Amino acid sequence: MNQPQNVRILIPEAMKKSVSRRMFLGGSAALGVTAFLAACSSGSGGGGSSSGGLNIYTWGEYDDPAVLTDYTSAKGPKITLDSYGSNPEMIAKLSAAKGTTGYDICVPTHSNIQQMATAGLLTELDHSRLPNMKNLVAKVVNTPFDPGNKYSVCKDWGSTGYVYDTTIIKRDLKSWADFLDAAQKEASGSMSLLEDQSEVAYTYFYANGIDENTTDPAHIAAYRSFIIDKIAPHVQAFESSTNASISSSARALIHCWNGDGRLGILANAEPDRYKWVWPTEGANLWQDNWAIVKGAPHEDAAYEFINYVLDPVVSLKELLYIGYNTGIEGIEEAAKKADIKRPDMVFISDDIMKKLVYSQMTSAEGTIIGIYDELKAAAGK
Amino acid sequence: MTVAGGASPRLPSRRRIRPADTFLNVWGVLGLVFLFFPIVVIVVFSFNSGRTLQTFDGIGMEAYVAALSNPAIVNSITVSLITATGTAVVATLLGTFAGIALTRQPGWWAPGLLILLGLVMVTPEIVSAISLLPWFVTLGVDNGLAAFNIGQVRLIIANSLFASAVVTFIVRARMTGMNQSLEEAAADLYAPPFRRFTDITLPLIRPAVISGALLAFTLSLDNTVVSSFVSVAGSTPWPVYIFASLKASLRPEIAAMSTLMLVLTLIVLAIAALILRRDPSGSGGGAAGLTSAMVGR
Amino acid sequence: MTAVEERSAPTQTAADTPPGRRRLRLPGGLGAVPISLWILLFFILPFGLVVWYSFGYKPGIYETHANDILSLDRYGEAASPAFFAIFLRTLKIAVTGTVLCLLIAFPMAYWMAVKLAPKWRGIVLALVLIPYWTNFLVRTIGWQISLSPTGFVSKLLQWANLTDGPMHVLYTSAAVQLGVVYNYLPLMILPLYVALERLDPKLLEASRDLGGTAWDTLWRITAPLSAPGVTAGMLLVFVPLMGDYITPTVLGGASGSMVGQMVAAQFQSAQNWALGAAMAVLLMLAIFGTSAVVGGILKVAGRITTAMTSLKLPSKEPS
Repeated sequence: MNQPQNVRILIPEAMKKSVSRRMFLGGSAALGVTAFLAACSSGSGGGGSSSGGLNIYTWGEYDDPAVLTDYTSAKGPKITLDSYGSNPEMIAKLSAAKGTTGYDICVPTHSNIQQMATAGLLTELDHSRLPNMKNLVAKVVNTPFDPGNKYSVCKDWGSTGYVYDTTIIKRDLKSWADFLDAAQKEASGSMSLLEDQSEVAYTYFYANGIDENTTDPAHIAAYRSFIIDKIAPHVQAFESSTNASISSSARALIHCWNGDGRLGILANAEPDRYKWVWPTEGANLWQDNWAIVKGAPHEDAAYEFINYVLDPVVSLKELLYIGYNTGIEGIEEAAKKADIKRPDMVFISDDIMKKLVYSQMTSAEGTIIGIYDELKAAAGK
Repeated sequence: MTVAGGASPRLPSRRRIRPADTFLNVWGVLGLVFLFFPIVVIVVFSFNSGRTLQTFDGIGMEAYVAALSNPAIVNSITVSLITATGTAVVATLLGTFAGIALTRQPGWWAPGLLILLGLVMVTPEIVSAISLLPWFVTLGVDNGLAAFNIGQVRLIIANSLFASAVVTFIVRARMTGMNQSLEEAAADLYAPPFRRFTDITLPLIRPAVISGALLAFTLSLDNTVVSSFVSVAGSTPWPVYIFASLKASLRPEIAAMSTLMLVLTLIVLAIAALILRRDPSGSGGGAAGLTSAMVGR
Repeated sequence: MTAVEERSAPTQTAADTPPGRRRLRLPGGLGAVPISLWILLFFILPFGLVVWYSFGYKPGIYETHANDILSLDRYGEAASPAFFAIFLRTLKIAVTGTVLCLLIAFPMAYWMAVKLAPKWRGIVLALVLIPYWTNFLVRTIGWQISLSPTGFVSKLLQWANLTDGPMHVLYTSAAVQLGVVYNYLPLMILPLYVALERLDPKLLEASRDLGGTAWDTLWRITAPLSAPGVTAGMLLVFVPLMGDYITPTVLGGASGSMVGQMVAAQFQSAQNWALGAAMAVLLMLAIFGTSAVVGGILKVAGRITTAMTSLKLPSKEPS
């Protein structure tokens, strides 16, 4: 009779709390199990279109948010966007994950498509599911970098230049040589370069009259010593998604693409503060393309989305927002009728087009990437 | 004699150290201000009704509305909370058993395990990140174990390593101070090991287990680097979402949601402090007990 | 234990165990098996893989790694002047950051543990912990907003005529230094607080009674007794600081870059896993190396200080 009494005295606290503790243990176990099950069902990348989403891996601020919500209301799938700042970053992520990234669509620049296809990162496109491809102008389909559009469809095309803060840089800048010069003088410590290894190289090549696709080791060595000795100390940041910096007047000199420059200038409280420059020596010409990632969990939604964006009305909305030429037949007239702001930055005039050169994947690519890494390491004070 | 810091008037030495006292008071308060400065900035900027986070453009609640109605943000918060719960469960289970084993029945393996756990804790996140992604891909793709392709699974595993090491140390610290005779007595009374564990051991280490679970939960919510490497699209946790927005453009919604998350964390911690305060064996009361447990003393 | 004494029934020992009922003891260390397996599978093996990669090379532009030819060349590359400069910069920021954290945290912890009335300690401790519980990235972004050249701090300083022109702190090493000190300060305060709280206030009083100045008390009593807390704090700050990836990304721009970003870049854009792995291994070695060196120095310093400040009591034994 005495023993139960003693046990109670022996461990009073434990007995008192045993119920709540058991409930706690059981509760957390139950919670854990439910959480795990919930997680498995919501996070299943391989679940196909049952989860009804669409995951797009693209550049920053590269789609009109209204277009995306319109797509969701029209077709159903909710879109998630993840962004990258350069093609190597996108390729690195896709190839490291070997198809498990969960992305459906990616947006490679033209020069990378062959490489990505060879590496097995892209799905071959079934054109029967993209009837709106017929809306594209001849210039952007069946191109040398993707004959027959096996892997990609044109999203938009554009060129590279820079903007500068006219309140800080009081002189007129007109060329890449001016850009590199101002970077070392007025804009020192307040300039940014694109995160794109090749684009940074092109600033030097164009400023020195060298073909942007050069593989001459002497040229590349000269580029290396210039960029690391002369420019690296003055760089404040490497940034591809520049419109936020432009609109908040964060830097004096910003290397950027024409559409981002336009977005930034239009969003700036003082629209005349930044001036966009089409450099006189010429610049890079590029085309960004929709491509479907191999192993895409929502392939149907991917095709639907790409087809949706190729519609002239939707394409016009995109163009009005992102400021890049989407390559749809008659888009320029439609845009001008819609009173597009700063058409000069979207529709490139013929005399500028003459000086633009398509970038190519050359044998010097590896060296140029290495120089860019060194530049990043040496940059800033 | 009086305790240091208490009022002890008219001791000659008191007057000598008074300037030092003021200095310490000022320093302490300034330190707190410093610690809270960016938090206050974020909370204030969460009421920014402008387009970008950095440029303050009018006061309003638009950011909160936008944040709660943004499917990407809500999804990432959900992912974060689920991951944190999963991590807390896994880490607490692993860590509690390990902590008990290390204290009660340490064998030849004990120093090895301690070194291993220490290694887990001193490895920078970036190193864990670059080693886990190829590993998950190897397991999931090359070896066909499809579970490792699920974003949530990857996140929980990635977050649970550090967390379980932390919980182990916390439980171990707690158990080291506990007398073994209670368990011995239970064994003498023919209690099977399971009942010894659930009726004796567990209640006594309850504060350590709770603080360990909480710590694992909060650490997981905060995990950015490893998560950004291993996450799968559609299961993007909240900090990774912010990190990605950093490169594109920051919106006030991020500040708004962060403020909400801060409030949530505070509520959880308040509940925890309440639970721990009611436990008489917690040393020095709720917060200090949690701290002592955290630092493993 | 009073509990045992209160048992009035005769003590039952193993010898009294009725037949058929044995005391069940699970094999020692069973509880440690799950975590060991977990760590083995998800930490040791992947890290071993990384070390394995570091001996390989990058076969071509479009491939990430290959290990058919093993060499230490990647380590040479990782230690090349361009990258080594970043290692040194990281080390500099980490060491400076740890020292600054210590200098700022010690008076604060002392204030909290010794000077504050006990009823306030819990609240102040909670106040210290709240920023720590906020998301790391978010509080760093808070600094990014504050330090911006067009931000409110800059405008305030310009209005007060303390600077001419916008503040140029953001995207420099200085901003990163500030950011890391801020982010890791709670990790230094906490162990110091715990150590100082255990300090017996009677010791401090005794020191004063024996004629010691406040300074004497600080250096000869408080500091040595809080040494374990100092060591713990320095370790807790230095180690993650060395590998910090977020603070330099948010606040550093191009110039504040640290090793963590370099390693990440090799995996995220340059696709050179071998080089990235070598850098990661070097980072770990740097962390261990510095900790060991500093630990050694502190130990020696501690021995010297003890020797210099200890009293030799007269021996009681007959010689």
